[in-house]
Amino acid sequence: MAVAEQTTSVAAVGSTSAWRRYGQNALIILDSRVGTIGLAIVLFWFFLALLSMVWTPYPPNASQFEQNLWPNATNWLGTDHLGRDLLSRLMTGAQVILIKTRLPGGIAIPGGVAIWGVFGSLVLGVAMGLTAGYYGGWTDQIIMQILDALIAFPRIILYLVVIAALGQGDWVVIIAITVTGAPGVARLARSLALDIKNRDYVLAAQTRGESAFYIMFREILPNARGPLLVDAMLRIGYAIFAIATLGFLGIGLPPPDPDWGNMVNEARSYIFNNPYAVLWPSLAIATLVIGLNLFADGLNEETSRYQR
Amino acid sequence: MNPKITQKQMEKVHVRIPDAFEQLRQGRISRREFLRTATLLGMSAGAATLAAACTTPEATTGSTSSTGADAAAVPAAAGGIVRGGTLRIGMLLQQIDHPARFSWVEAANVARQVGEYLTETGPDNLTRPFLLDSWEANDDVTEWTLNLKQGIKFNNGDELTTDDVMFSFSQWLDEDIGSSMLGLLSYLDGMNSVEQVDDYTIKLHLNSGNIGVPEHLFHYPAIILHRNFEGDYIKQPIGTGPFTLDEYNQDERAVLKARSDYWRMGEDGNPLPYLDEVVYVNLDKDATVAAMLGGQVDSIYNPGPSQWQATKDSADFNVIPASTAQTIVLRTRVDLEPWDDNRVRTALKMCQDREKILQLAYFGQGDLGIDAHVAPVHPAYAEKPIPAYDPEGAKALLEEYAAEKGIELPLAVTLATKNDQAEPEMAQALKELAAPAGFDITLDITEPDGYWDRWTEVDLGLTSWTHRPLDTMVLPLAYTAAAIGNWNETRWTDDEFETLLRQAEATLDVEARREIMSQIEDIMQERGPIGISHWRSVWNITRNNFENVKAHPTSYDLLYDVWKNDA
Repeated sequence: MAVAEQTTSVAAVGSTSAWRRYGQNALIILDSRVGTIGLAIVLFWFFLALLSMVWTPYPPNASQFEQNLWPNATNWLGTDHLGRDLLSRLMTGAQVILIKTRLPGGIAIPGGVAIWGVFGSLVLGVAMGLTAGYYGGWTDQIIMQILDALIAFPRIILYLVVIAALGQGDWVVIIAITVTGAPGVARLARSLALDIKNRDYVLAAQTRGESAFYIMFREILPNARGPLLVDAMLRIGYAIFAIATLGFLGIGLPPPDPDWGNMVNEARSYIFNNPYAVLWPSLAIATLVIGLNLFADGLNEETSRYQR
Repeated sequence: MNPKITQKQMEKVHVRIPDAFEQLRQGRISRREFLRTATLLGMSAGAATLAAACTTPEATTGSTSSTGADAAAVPAAAGGIVRGGTLRIGMLLQQIDHPARFSWVEAANVARQVGEYLTETGPDNLTRPFLLDSWEANDDVTEWTLNLKQGIKFNNGDELTTDDVMFSFSQWLDEDIGSSMLGLLSYLDGMNSVEQVDDYTIKLHLNSGNIGVPEHLFHYPAIILHRNFEGDYIKQPIGTGPFTLDEYNQDERAVLKARSDYWRMGEDGNPLPYLDEVVYVNLDKDATVAAMLGGQVDSIYNPGPSQWQATKDSADFNVIPASTAQTIVLRTRVDLEPWDDNRVRTALKMCQDREKILQLAYFGQGDLGIDAHVAPVHPAYAEKPIPAYDPEGAKALLEEYAAEKGIELPLAVTLATKNDQAEPEMAQALKELAAPAGFDITLDITEPDGYWDRWTEVDLGLTSWTHRPLDTMVLPLAYTAAAIGNWNETRWTDDEFETLLRQAEATLDVEARREIMSQIEDIMQERGPIGISHWRSVWNITRNNFENVKAHPTSYDLLYDVWKNDA
């Protein structure tokens, strides 16, 4: 019993210190002014998205006001061409990008489409990149040729192919982002693996007889996480652009739930009457992407400094 | 002394015209309806207008549309007509080859400045003789005599005769050409039904009576071709129209120059047209407002609600509306569950808040519908109360259906449509409006091509239908057994409906036809497959230094008598 208690206690201490370490690592972003600004912008949108889960000024899909109103005391950002409150739609639009994914059957899971899309790219890209970089030779050749072929296609064509094959829906957009993002992640992971696989600790693991899977994911990956993390932050920005582009083309997330890209698309016809309906979602897309880029820059700056 | 038309003179043209005149005098039909009936029976437009003017103003009530006689009587601007100037119109310029094969109005709008039609359905939805001097129909409307005007010259100097008309009919009825006229003229047994009586007279022998012949002759591919036409209108732009084709570059621009020897005379006694030149500039719809405001074009083709909103209060443009029979039909497949049950169809129809849908789709610009494919602008439309938005009533019907089938509400259905005119707005509005009744609608909105590939196949859809001037023109295309496999997208057939429709197709008398239409409308409301919440308006938006501009229900450009007051 005493042994068990001691084990629990050690585990608890270990867990606390791990969290403290993660916390301290996360706080290094505050050392960068650029990163802090980026983080503030991103957190602002996260906060709005979370808030919209429980409260919006008005129901986001209800056509209950006059159409194409400019900002006023009732509708702070105005209304769209269907008389829907723009602030409510803008807040709800952030949900799908950042904190909620709707699956078929009415199920919703935490994590926005952009987050899951980038996560998918990371998983697929890292697996392919590490395998190619670690094994080299024919394995490397085959994997990289496939990835080069995918990269050769314009990204928008790949999106269209995926959506044409699978139809519309949050999960389809996630797959589209995953498929188009994975080659870039794989290239980065491969180059990192090529560098790290010749380090002494990797050679030591090989000497110990560790499996290739263990070496790739326990020895190489943790030491490659900095650049991959920075890349992932940038990719969330790309993913938001991708979602907005697909929404703008009318093939993204299905209406009537708000989607920033689709909001721009629907409102652009009325831009001469109501420029605000285009302006707000455009600003939302731009600020969130800029915020993520600044955050990634700050992260890169600080992780590089620690490496130096 | 004002000239008058006597009853005997009317009888001389057709025995039924005095009856129509009497109905007009008693206020039982509108002036617009009288004009239509009289011209349909062969009376010249001028004489019919004169006869209508002989009634008291009180008797001319009952117009159901804003495109009545008022729209026809575009007042001449003060200060006299000015000749010269160029009108620039923004429109997509598509490939043009054989006019009989046209499938887009845009192509026809260029070609109609060069070539012309036997008849013309005007902005007031009345059809009048154009290249024809007159037409006559027998009592059961199975034989039509078409009398051609004499002395009309093509732009190559040849005179228009029935040789050209016979050639044009042969092109329309040739399966190898692939003209949409072939389906429209299905009551003709090929060229065997077209008889050339003399140089200026043709007789049509119909398999079954049809009152729509004059309207069909103004279908946009029905341009009268020169007898030696070889199949490419860009290479051989020979026509009787007011302009000649000077330049046509697909996706760029088309330049049309005025003819000096056109057969129609202007108010100043000289040949039309008043304009020197018409230039169509290839312009995507998204760029049209900027091009108008920037002065690059003077007018645009078929402006939508956003263009209307952007220009309606501008001092630089005249915005002229026209009521139409253009609509977006909420249609169900009655051969598939759950739409095979009339309670479900009726419940969905009850979920239409018609005023709200019209407001959201077209900013309230149009007429409300009654779930029957007959519009207020149609001559024989029988006015009915507009059904109210009734989600509670709809829910009761759905609950009854669900209990019988052992299913739970909400009833999940998918509404397919295209991202085109106002379909996405309508679809989103309907999803919200139908939710309280127990419908859970998933929207499946694709690009137009994606929807047109499957428009007859989807379970539930929103399909746009264009304007047709007569009440009897769409119904046989979409709601009869013979149309299954073609344009009957609902698979709905009804023996009583079809019998009444055949009667209506052979009934010239507007009031008699309205009685039949009233029954047809009742059937469609009670057990029909569609919901029609509204009929949209169209607009002509043109810079205000152009006069005599008209808004046409099908967005046809009638430019022969347009003039520029500061040319």
